[in-house]
Amino acid sequence: MGFFDSISDMLEAALPWSTAEAEAPKEEETKDEESSDKSEEEGSEEKEEEPEEEEEEEEELEDPKEKFEEECKESKACAPAKHHFDECVERVTSADHGKPVDKKHPDEDCVEEFFHLAHCASTCAAPKLWNALK
Amino acid sequence: MLARSALRSSRTLGAARNGAVHTSKRAASSSSSSADASPFRLNMAGTAATAVAIGSLAWYYHLYGTELHAMTMTEEGLHATKYPWVHKEYTKTFDHQALRRGFQVYREVCSSCHSLSRIPYRSLVGVTHTVDEAKAMAEENEYDSEPNDEGEIEKRPGKLSDYLPNPYKNDEAARAANNGALPPDLSLMVKARHGGCDYIFSLLTGYPEEPPPGVKLPDGLNFNPYFPGTGIAMARVLYNELVEYEDGTPATTSQMAKDVVEFLNWSAEPEMDQRKKMGMKVLVIGTALFALSVWVKRYKWSPIKTRKIAYNPPIQGGKH
Repeated sequence: MGFFDSISDMLEAALPWSTAEAEAPKEEETKDEESSDKSEEEGSEEKEEEPEEEEEEEEELEDPKEKFEEECKESKACAPAKHHFDECVERVTSADHGKPVDKKHPDEDCVEEFFHLAHCASTCAAPKLWNALK
Repeated sequence: MLARSALRSSRTLGAARNGAVHTSKRAASSSSSSADASPFRLNMAGTAATAVAIGSLAWYYHLYGTELHAMTMTEEGLHATKYPWVHKEYTKTFDHQALRRGFQVYREVCSSCHSLSRIPYRSLVGVTHTVDEAKAMAEENEYDSEPNDEGEIEKRPGKLSDYLPNPYKNDEAARAANNGALPPDLSLMVKARHGGCDYIFSLLTGYPEEPPPGVKLPDGLNFNPYFPGTGIAMARVLYNELVEYEDGTPATTSQMAKDVVEFLNWSAEPEMDQRKKMGMKVLVIGTALFALSVWVKRYKWSPIKTRKIAYNPPIQGGKH
């Protein structure tokens, strides 16, 4: 490594952007041979720990979008939309529970109410979701 | 002003007439207004005219003023929520880790139905993969080679210059395999849809567990609020842990959707990073040149701005 290389290295470290390289970094064989023993030892230790963590993650893995939107639906800001949606659901499904069908609007659906609720919930969840995602 | 002066003149006219009342009966009977009735009548006329004006305005608004919607809310679809995409900011680039993950999602999930026909393997080099990785991926597919000595076209393994393979031979085959619905090519999809990244992300993650009550969809269609008409032939495809990321990122539905959308944005605008850099250069050089031009202008104009025109009147001869 020459004098100018070290300067350019330091400059690269200090600059806010970095260079993207198309070529895979060349493997330095000599170093790999030396460190292979060590890495195997380290690797075996790590492998023992990893599976436990993964299992825990698998159980807990939950879509953050769904989580935040559920929270948002229950929040105060979305209360009117939720109220209208719930009322609509009750009205439309009332026929299933033996109540008389609403004769004025026999084909009513709850799409609009659903839209308002979904819009409210996703708008409220958007910044939280982006903080949670990588 | 005109009205006020008219009122005043008519009042004086009325007063003059009142003076005449006492002199002749004929004049009294012909003069229709007494002293206190006159302003009331005039006010009536003004009020009525104003009422008619307001009424006609209201009628016009009633007829033509209200906004007309040719489509219902369902037909329009739910407008996609705006998400704070980092790569959309003026000074930010694509996150190339996310692009790599997004390509993995495309390759393992989307590519079974959707083509990405404008992206060759060579363009992935230096963006998501290294040369060797891209070559290895290209070699997994077979492409038609040049005709051999007998004029027959043989198959050869892919090269970097080959484009990503299409899942179907042609559009008709794609329709036949998908219940009549054509999965669109995704190369320019982010540019091709209103809402871009937000729309695709919302569409991918927006499938509710069950459609709202009362919705009747034809067979083979799924409910998605973000799709215009809400009936979409594509079913929900992204589920938690469908893909195993090599960098250990937890593969939740929204993470996968975010990554693949960022990758699709790259495939639609691969020049974005360069474009932003160029825009920055234009701004920097442009402002520098503008500042320079201001100084040059001041320099060039300085003789004109600082000149002084002096008039020394000739001395008139002699004392008066």
